[in-house]
Amino acid sequence: MLWLALKTLIHEKGRMVITLTGIIFSTVLTLTQVSMYLGMMGNATAVIRHVNADIWVMSKNVQNFDFANPFPEDRINRVRSSADVVWADRLILTWGFLKLAGGGQEQVQIIGFNPDTGVGAPWEMVSGKPADVKGGRYFIIDKTAEKRLGGLTLGTLWELNENRFKLVGLSQGVKSFTTAPVLFMAYNEVHNVLSGLVRQNQTSYIVAKLKDRARMQEVVAGLRNSMKNNDVLTTEEFVNKTVYYWTVQTGMGMGFFLTAILGLIVGGAIVGQTVYANTMEHLREYGTLKALGARNSDIYSVIFSQVAISAVAGFAAGSVIILFLRGGIEKAGVSLYLSPVIFGSIFCVILVTCLLSAFFSIRKVRTLDPVTVFRT
Amino acid sequence: MTVILEAEGVSKIYGKGENSILAVDDVSLSVRRNEMLLIMGPSGSGKTTLLSIMGCILHPTSGEVRIEGKAVTGLHEDALPDIRKQYFGFVFQAFNLFPSLRAVENVELVLRLKKTDKTGIRAEALELLKKVGLGKRSHFYPADMSGGEKQRVAFARALAGDPPIIMADEPTANLDSRTGQDVLKLLRDMSEESHKGIVIVSHDPKAEALAHRVVFLEDGRIRS
Repeated sequence: MLWLALKTLIHEKGRMVITLTGIIFSTVLTLTQVSMYLGMMGNATAVIRHVNADIWVMSKNVQNFDFANPFPEDRINRVRSSADVVWADRLILTWGFLKLAGGGQEQVQIIGFNPDTGVGAPWEMVSGKPADVKGGRYFIIDKTAEKRLGGLTLGTLWELNENRFKLVGLSQGVKSFTTAPVLFMAYNEVHNVLSGLVRQNQTSYIVAKLKDRARMQEVVAGLRNSMKNNDVLTTEEFVNKTVYYWTVQTGMGMGFFLTAILGLIVGGAIVGQTVYANTMEHLREYGTLKALGARNSDIYSVIFSQVAISAVAGFAAGSVIILFLRGGIEKAGVSLYLSPVIFGSIFCVILVTCLLSAFFSIRKVRTLDPVTVFRT
Repeated sequence: MTVILEAEGVSKIYGKGENSILAVDDVSLSVRRNEMLLIMGPSGSGKTTLLSIMGCILHPTSGEVRIEGKAVTGLHEDALPDIRKQYFGFVFQAFNLFPSLRAVENVELVLRLKKTDKTGIRAEALELLKKVGLGKRSHFYPADMSGGEKQRVAFARALAGDPPIIMADEPTANLDSRTGQDVLKLLRDMSEESHKGIVIVSHDPKAEALAHRVVFLEDGRIRS
């Protein structure tokens, strides 16, 4: 009956255009919202996921990566003393102001990392090396900040919290949730030059790598026991905590969720309405089919096939639009996380929404009495 | 002539209690192969209800319908589509063609419904259209055809799958006099050449002259 579904669908071009418009609208809105949300969550957890550590130690009740509280850095010794730890290192996260050429200033997120080990360093460089920050007032900044900060030329001097620093490298793909530019410098230099931000002997995070990840829970439990004034989390727990904070505690996730649901509802309503109108218009033909020996399931398959064909075509068109707009959206500073899994999942949601929207049509066909075909 | 379809003591009551209507009242009727049976009667006499019951579309309130001697009245609702598929072809007053399908595709649709082997379906549909004189109009949409042509497509569709019984409800009602006459002749030829039992419900007096047998229905009963 796919044959009949396709013929009927193509024959009524006006109705098909309305159906496709509804599905395209749903697809674009849902894909944009989901990919934007995932992009923002990806930014919020980027550093945590790229540090390649298994365990994170932080001040009590830190809610997300961006809002760290300093604590004594010598607690790293307790972490190192565990026989299960391969390495442990410190990481500073703080905020500063970078003066711009025009006289203005921009708030930046500063990550102080150990250039000898590279733990916490930018993971993708456009120019320069992470180790270039070693031994002086040097910094690396992410290329995505160029639009906000102006020309990022290697070797130029910049003023950070009234201290001069030299730009020695450009990273790529490091964005913070708050959209503030992310700046990397040597751990010691934050203490030496920016002591107003993080005092000597204090750190924001201690990260550690384990010999055997299978022993993760035991090691975490042991560290929690010995470091009562800190929170000890696995990388996965810290990612989840950060995502939970931005999604639930700020209410931002609900905003994205509602917009995506609204897209699905509006799209589903348009599809449902056009499919229902189509069914009502063809009721006599469906009754004829029943009189000629078609089962309800034969007619259901026509309606579901029409909906499924529309869903595939509408989703494909919507996806092309998103891919076409992606460059422009990202240029405007909004990260979109799109992957085959995202496309596949959203397609399934769109398809199910469309099939559900055919429910009233199916009910109409189920109760259709073939005797009606004899009425004029 | 072999009896192919029988109705015995068939009655149909619509509604319940004081508001009930007796549409068909204790009708017994048989249809033979090679026969064109005409059911006539005034509006509201129960002709279409009787046709629906005999065509296994509507359950009678009482009585029995038999096809080739086998009772189908007591069969479950789910079994009836297969019975209709195997034994019946229907022609309707308003043609009931799919507007989105060409003439040949309208015929093909029923073949697809009736046959599991889909090979040669298009050729078979074209052959049926040739048989009703529409070989050259097979690729037209219903909207581009005259009433007579549409009814011929409906005949070709009714013949699809070679059912032994054709039920036609007012087949000439929407046609002009001459086309109506042609259509009735076509039905008669079908009964004689294809050995089918044909049941027509009609008000058309021309049908009376062409039918092999005529039955008058009045207030749900056969008038003797």
